[in-house]
Parts: sequence; structure tokens; C-alpha cells
Amino acid sequence: MNLLVWTLVAPLVTAAIGVVAGPRRFREAIMIGGLAVTFALCLAVAREFLGGAIPAAFGDALRVDGLSALVLVLCGFVGLLSGVYGVGYLRRNEARGLITPRMRREFFGLMPAYVFAILFVSVSNNLGILWIAVELTTLASVFLVTFHDRDTSLEAAWKFLMLGSLGLAFALLGTVLLFASGQGHLGEGMAALHWTRLMQAAPTLHPFTLRLGVVFALIGYGTKAGLAPMHTWKPDAYGEAPSPAGVLMAVGMLNGALYCVLRIHMISSASLGPAFSSGLLLTLGLLSVLVATPFILIQWNLKRLLAYSSIEHVGIMAIGFGLGAKAGVFGALLHMTYHTLAKPVSFFSAGSLAQRYSSSDFETIGGGTFAGAPITSAIFVLSAVMITGSPPFGLFFSEMVILKAGFLGAHRAVTAVFLAALIVLFCGFAYQVGRLVLGPSRHPAAGTMEPERIDLGVGTALVAAVLAIVSAFYLPGPLMALIRAATDVVWGGA
Amino acid sequence: MTANVLILCAAGMLVTAYLMVGQKALFTTIRLYGLQSSLLGIVAATNALSDGRNDLWVTAALTVALKGLLIPWFLMKVIDRIGIHREIEPFLNVPASLLICLGLTVVGYRVSTGFPEGTRGASHHLIGVALSMLLIGLFLMVTRKKAITQILALLTVENAVFLVAVGVTSGMPFIVELGISFDVILAVLVLGVLVQRIVGRFESMDVSRLSKLKG
Repeated sequence: MNLLVWTLVAPLVTAAIGVVAGPRRFREAIMIGGLAVTFALCLAVAREFLGGAIPAAFGDALRVDGLSALVLVLCGFVGLLSGVYGVGYLRRNEARGLITPRMRREFFGLMPAYVFAILFVSVSNNLGILWIAVELTTLASVFLVTFHDRDTSLEAAWKFLMLGSLGLAFALLGTVLLFASGQGHLGEGMAALHWTRLMQAAPTLHPFTLRLGVVFALIGYGTKAGLAPMHTWKPDAYGEAPSPAGVLMAVGMLNGALYCVLRIHMISSASLGPAFSSGLLLTLGLLSVLVATPFILIQWNLKRLLAYSSIEHVGIMAIGFGLGAKAGVFGALLHMTYHTLAKPVSFFSAGSLAQRYSSSDFETIGGGTFAGAPITSAIFVLSAVMITGSPPFGLFFSEMVILKAGFLGAHRAVTAVFLAALIVLFCGFAYQVGRLVLGPSRHPAAGTMEPERIDLGVGTALVAAVLAIVSAFYLPGPLMALIRAATDVVWGGA
Repeated sequence: MTANVLILCAAGMLVTAYLMVGQKALFTTIRLYGLQSSLLGIVAATNALSDGRNDLWVTAALTVALKGLLIPWFLMKVIDRIGIHREIEPFLNVPASLLICLGLTVVGYRVSTGFPEGTRGASHHLIGVALSMLLIGLFLMVTRKKAITQILALLTVENAVFLVAVGVTSGMPFIVELGISFDVILAVLVLGVLVQRIVGRFESMDVSRLSKLKG
């Protein structure tokens, strides 16, 4: 078997061992070890790609081009990071007696399974397989959302599953219609649904059927990416899922879903011309940024705040892709990379704060976390500076690239609105963070809490923060090469 | 002959969708879904016979076995265990719902004329019915409160998508179809488990009560 297949087998085996009962240390070691091996394999596949090869398996059903390689590496990275943090998270809850054997089994089984499904998405070259993989991500994450077994987590899981399944039904219809639009030109069997085959046949696809298919597929996969107006499951699911799973959803799944959106976008651009799906992406993206803005201003819950920030960022990326300029595509992929580096820091620090105060509700936490938990709060403030796109951090640069592409291109008005929304978002976020960390603490147990110490969870957040800061000034050459290769794939298709 | 069977089955599927809208007893709604899926199986089998494509036989058998029998059986077991048998008053009453569905059918048929296959023969009806069912499924989803009815609405949408696949294409690649069927079964299982947890917690499967999370 080749490297690519092993990359998918590794997390699957990790999940299988995780479900089986075993001593706690053993399970922890398996999960961290398994995800580390997975990440190493992702890097190896990307290296193979950079060496000039196109890693593929099962008759090109799995195929790694520039875009796949970039998403694969980013998702593998997030998988490892959230696995390590997850172990620390579980230990803390274990110490407080909140964990039942069922929860332990679900956690150690579903986390690697979720990573598997996300990686599977990112290397699928067959639209049918792609759909199956996305459905698997949904199914793997439902019981992570219900992990804490509260009333609200059941509600969140129900909304997540219903909306997600509906989105996937749309995506399936879109896939069927894309397939139908190429009747007679695609050939027989499995290969007929290969993305590469559809791209070759692009000029001959039937326009009406294709147009309908693209709309359904973009809405369907857009639901999974959390683009407005299909974003409503996101705050609920992020708010209720334990933070390590939240990171996988907010970064891993987001990248995976955007990958699907891009594949559809490229087919559409190659066949119908760039204007059609670019316009859709631009509209959905701008709507996402605009929808996120007021909810960030009035937010009452830390984790939901991060969810709206995620809606904002997916909107920014969609705008970048929809501008119809190569610089915009490059900016969006750069944004994806920096977002992948910065977002885990917010989730990890926010998760640790929520654990410490047993709530992610601003009222219950009662402000003044800086006095009670200086290290975690400092990391959170730093991450807030990063994810609001402030200089000198990475997301600032990528947003500048997108803004520049926008102002130089045909969509100046949209870009101006977008810029205004970004500024309001920054102020809103700053206000919320100030409310959380400054002032005296009003939490009833504030005086009696034990002092903060650096455990595995906080340690992971620190490491992630250091990586995010370093990346702002130094992006490793191979990673940059991947971003450029991915830009060529997306732009070449467009 | 083939065309007549196809049109008859498609019409039957549309009728079951309408009956589901008018029905409040959950058992009957589930049986209607089973009937609808079996008709979909017959559509696939008819195509297999007329086109001489052997893999479509497997699709047909899978559809009847999984969607016609297994999923309805599983959903009935879920209902039995939680002991809730009737849909409560929907957000919109039955006559009004049926009228709206009539309008949705017109829309579905109108859109179907845009397809290259859509202006002639049996395919026209298959696509028209499929798009109408899709819209009716969506309508059911937003107007019903019971978790089980929402699942059935989702499955109706799923059936509609498969009918499009049969009507517009000569069937999806076999392995892909197999994977999709497997995923659908898995999704229904997960939904069933979730419904049981919700009922265990809220002592009701009225999902309109799930409204604590806001903002």
C-alpha cells in the first residue's frame, strides 16, 4: 500500500484502538501517538507531491494535487494539536469527576475517527467519494457535540445533524446533477465521477443541468462550511462541543468543506465561465461577514463568540475566492493557513478558561479572568489580537492581500463594505475580550480557586501560540510552496 | 410499456408524499415512506430490465431491502420504545399544507422542463416528480414538530435525490451508490439514537421545544 493509503489508515486504527477499553495512560499514548504518526504521514505525502509526483490511490479516486496537499497538511496539523490538547482537557475533567466510561470511549474513538474523515475529504478526487467522506465527518462529530450530555447539547446536536443532513442531501443532488450534465462524455464506472474527468469534459457539460447542480452543491457544502445563511448550526455546535472537538470542527472541517466548495467552483468556472460561481461565493462570503458582525457585538458566550468569528473567517475566505483574481485566491489560501495556525490558540485558551470557571457564559465567568488565570487569559488576549487580523500577525497579511486584490479588481464596492465590517468586527471583539479579562472578578468562587498551573492543556495552547507567532514572521518554504501550488490549482481551474 | 410502469411508479411516489403531508398517525407515515422507497426500487428495477444493466438490479434490491423494509422497521421500533404515536398539531393545518404542496408540484414540474431530458417521455415525469418531492420534503421539514416526522421528511428528500439520479442519469457509479446507501443507513441509526436520547431527556420529541440556544 502506498503512503497516501497509510495516511488514512493510521487515524482509523487509532480510533479502533481508542474504542477498546484499556488503561487511561495507554489510551492517551495511543491517541497522541496515532495522530502524530498521521501528521507525519501527511507531511510525507506533501513532500512526495513537492518532489514532483502526484500521489494517488484506488484508480485516482484519491489523488493529491496542490490544493489537496495543502488542506491535508493543515488538517493533519490540527488533528495532532487537538489530540494533544484533548488528552489534557479530558484529564482536567477527569480530575473533577465529570467523565464516565462511556464518555471516555466516545472521546478516544470519535476524535481520531473525525480526523480520519476530514483527511479523507481532503484527498478525494471522486465527487461521490467526496460526498461519502463529508457525511462521515458529520456522523463522527454528532456524538462529540453531545459529549457533555446536557439539555442544550442535545438541542445543538439535533440542529447540527438535521441541518447538516439537509445540506448533504442538497450536495448529493448537486453531485447527481453534475454527473448528469456530462452524460455521454464521462464514460462508465467509478472514474465517471472523478473530478479530473469532469474538468476534462468541462466544455461539453450541459449548461442548465450544470448550473442547477452547482447551485445545489455549493449550498450543500456551504452548509457544512458554515457560510451564511446556512450557518445557524455553528454557534450551537461549537458552544456545546468540548473545545478539542470544537477545534476540529472550526478548522479541520471548515478547511475540508471549503475544499469541496472549491472543487465545485473550479468545475463551474471551467465550464460556465468564472462569473457564475464566483458571484455566488462572493455573495455568500459577504453575507457571512455581515451576519457575524452584530452577533459578535452582542455575544454572551465565549465559545459562541468563537463560532461567529469562524463564520466571519469562512466568509473572508469565500470573498477571497470569489473576487475572481489570482491574488484573491492566493490571499484566501494564505488566510486558510494562518487561520489554521491561529484559531486553535483561541479555542484552547477559551476552553481552558471555560473549564476553570465551569462555564463559557460571560455572566457566570464574571469578568476579571486576568487576575484569576493570568497565563490562559494572556494567551486568549494574544489569540484575539491574531484572529481579528491585527498587525503584525499572519491574518493581517492575508486580509491585506485579499483587500488589495478586491480594490484593484472589479468588486470595489463589495470590498469597501467588507473592510467596514472588518473594522466593526475588530472593535466588537476587543470589547468582548476586555469584558472578559479586565476588572475585578465577580465569580462567586474567585477567591477560593487554586492558582493556575501549566498542565497539558495550557501547555498545548502555549505551544500553539508560539507556532502562530513564529508563522507570522517565518512561513516555512515548503508550506509556502504548497500554498502557491494550491493557488495554481484553484486559479488554473478558474 | 416501460415508460408506463415508470410513470405509474413516479406518480405513486408523489401520492405517498402527499399522503405523508396529510397524515398524523406516525406508524402510517412510516409505512407510506416504506411504500415510497419500494416504488423507487421498482423504478430502478424497470430501468435495469429495459437497459439491460445488471448493477441496477443490485441498486433496486438494496433500495427495497434497506429503505423499503429496514429503515421503516427501525423507525417503528424507535416509536414503540418511546411510546409516542401521533403527530401533534403542525405549524400549518392539513388543507393549507396540501394546497401549498400543490403549488410546489407546479414549481417542480416547471423547473424540470429545463433539462435536456426534461421535455420528453418518462424522464420528464421522473424529474418533475422528483423535484416536487424534494420541495414537499423540505416543506414537511419546516412545518412539523416531531423528531420522527422530520427524519421522514429528510428521507423523502433523499428519495427525491435518488429519483433524480435514476431519471436524469443511467444510475450513479455502483461503488459510489453502495457507499451512499451505507452512509444513509448509518445516518438513520445515528438519528434514531439521538431521538431516543432527546425523548429520554425531555420526555417528548417535540423538537420545537429545543429552543434554548439563541444569539
